[in-house]
Amino acid sequence: MKKKIVATLLTAVMAASALAGCAQKVDPNADTAASKEATEETTQDATKEEAKTDETAAPEEKTIESCEIEFWHGMSNKQEEVLTQLTDEFNSSNEYGITVTLVNQGSYGDLSQKLQAAAAADGLPDMAQAYNNWLNPYIDKVVDLSDFVATDFDNYDDIIEAYRNECSEFGFVHALPFNKSTYVMFYNKTVLDELGLEAPKTWEDLTTIGEAYVEKYGNAAWGVDDLAGFVEASLRQNGEGYVDATGALFNTDGGLETMTYIMDLYNNGLARLVGEDKYFSNVLSAQAMLGYIGSSTGASYITADGWELGVCPVPSNKESAAYCAGTNLVMFTQDSNKQLAAWEYMKWLTSAEATVTWAVGTGYLPVRTSAYESAEYQEFMASDVTATAAYEQSDAFFTSLASYDASNDVRTAVAAKMEELILDETEPQDALDALVEEINAQF
Amino acid sequence: MKSTKVSNLVLDILKFTILILGAIITMMPFVWMILSSLKTSSEITAIPPTFFPKDPQWSNYQEAWSRAPFLRYFVNTVIVAVGSTFGVLITTVLSAFAFSRLNFPGKKLIFSLLMATLMIPGEMLVITNYITVYNMKLEIGETRIMGIDSYGALIIPWIASVFYIYLLTQFFMQVPDAIYLAAKVDKCSDWKFMWKIMLPMNKQAVVTIGILNFISSWNAFMWPLLVTNDPNMRVLSNGLTQFQSEAGSDYQLIMAASCILVMPIIIIYLFLRKYIIEGVTRSGLKG
Repeated sequence: MKKKIVATLLTAVMAASALAGCAQKVDPNADTAASKEATEETTQDATKEEAKTDETAAPEEKTIESCEIEFWHGMSNKQEEVLTQLTDEFNSSNEYGITVTLVNQGSYGDLSQKLQAAAAADGLPDMAQAYNNWLNPYIDKVVDLSDFVATDFDNYDDIIEAYRNECSEFGFVHALPFNKSTYVMFYNKTVLDELGLEAPKTWEDLTTIGEAYVEKYGNAAWGVDDLAGFVEASLRQNGEGYVDATGALFNTDGGLETMTYIMDLYNNGLARLVGEDKYFSNVLSAQAMLGYIGSSTGASYITADGWELGVCPVPSNKESAAYCAGTNLVMFTQDSNKQLAAWEYMKWLTSAEATVTWAVGTGYLPVRTSAYESAEYQEFMASDVTATAAYEQSDAFFTSLASYDASNDVRTAVAAKMEELILDETEPQDALDALVEEINAQF
Repeated sequence: MKSTKVSNLVLDILKFTILILGAIITMMPFVWMILSSLKTSSEITAIPPTFFPKDPQWSNYQEAWSRAPFLRYFVNTVIVAVGSTFGVLITTVLSAFAFSRLNFPGKKLIFSLLMATLMIPGEMLVITNYITVYNMKLEIGETRIMGIDSYGALIIPWIASVFYIYLLTQFFMQVPDAIYLAAKVDKCSDWKFMWKIMLPMNKQAVVTIGILNFISSWNAFMWPLLVTNDPNMRVLSNGLTQFQSEAGSDYQLIMAASCILVMPIIIIYLFLRKYIIEGVTRSGLKG
């Protein structure tokens, strides 16, 4: 009898703790969803009011009280060095006594987890680097920058259009672009010359060159670092849509054509998965492949020892489309003085001068058209093959839509599903069906 | 007579061959880590791979060391690992003794409740714990005891472990009642009995718990990153992320830093080898 009571109690406790666990997990989201609109409005109002006071004060003299701004970032090594250099410059030269403190939060994954935890605890920093798809659960806590951009920014139209679109996809300007990169094709120029071939420009080139390489060397020729990004770019190159808030958009003839192109590359042994290496930079360095599509910032991880590195825009089909990656600067501080201070810093990082220093120092891309045209960057490009290739495709830049709730899940799911389909050597039609089904299951 | 000697010798050879093979297999990852830490970045990814580095790059260690304040991280890691291990040992020994020896109302219920918490995955508690720590700001003078960027936040959430309590309770229960009663007859208090008899009899189990906790604390990554913003409060494992980025990794530097990171643990192991081996064989547990 006693045992029975204990057992019942135990079950009850476990059930209760499990329920409590669920409630905790669900709660923040439900809460956010419910209060999203309300808070959004209030934040917008708040910033509007502030902008008004700012405007009225503008003719006289803008006053910002001396304060400290905490900026969470995920940059390491050389990138961190240049960021520190730019920040020191800002700290010592701004007239208001603003001090920006850089806080390194590890990798992007760590940074995003930390931001999420901080959002739950209401402990977000004044500013951070962020991808749009991280922001969905706490977009209501991001400061609306629309008025700042309208009243106090140097030529917003000078910012690359794809970045402007990305930074306003939640319906208001929520960020300024910062460390932007694009996917380009890195290849072994020495081997390509030996084969007597030119760098690939189209899907067909990729197939014919790949076949020639495989025949001579036996290894798979191509690879892509980011399968999800590759699928989306390929669809766009074929004039197809990808995914929006309603689900997958490519269950079409064009979608099948795209899938056939991708699956044939893998099924015919022309391309391979990266597996445990995680990035193809090492594989290319070891001369075990011909080329791969990866982030332009990866150039520093390629060691061309005994061979020459070539870089070209990503091969395209009907249209050209080049995937853009990289985070933006977002502001979280709700203190009006700190908002003005953080804005000064954001203006500095996106200024023509700073963006060129940043791009030359790190291999990221400038965020302004005028920066591309500046003498300093032109000179840098002349000696940097990666930057040249990135610039060549800059008209075709696009960013992945991230402002729907499932965007993060879709990204992970597509990468995992594609890997599975490739390993199973799936037929294109089956692969298309499976991928569409997988994406729709995320909503 | 002679034939038994020969067969003994054959058996020995066989035994040692198997053991040596086993040792080589176990050592391989370590050896590979050390060798890789001395290669250049192109050699480390070369296909076919080389076993011994052609030209040992001792500068990898220098470069890895200079990428982050490892000395400061090292001091922090030691403080956190020692602090949490000390805490875990105290809470574990005291509660295990209470659950195994003392009689008090609700003992079984409390024990069951503790057991039930084992069912909650740690990941689910991270955000809740973070919110708690974030909102707790306790400062004595200039030193922060609790809250973001404090040793308290790094140590206090980890000074009690239900699993270790359960484990040690089982060990303590194996001590026969007769010994406890005999001690009672000799007017030995519970407190004295615990320190003088119970602990020495279960030394290996306690040492094992201490070591396991020390290792997991040494390797902890996510929690220290969450509750610190100040680089001066970070730990060694956080330093390892300095070598990875969105577009690639410097494997040779990761390996060099990893060598630095595991060295203290290996040294501790060499000193405490006897206890670890005894503890592991007796408790059937390993890290």
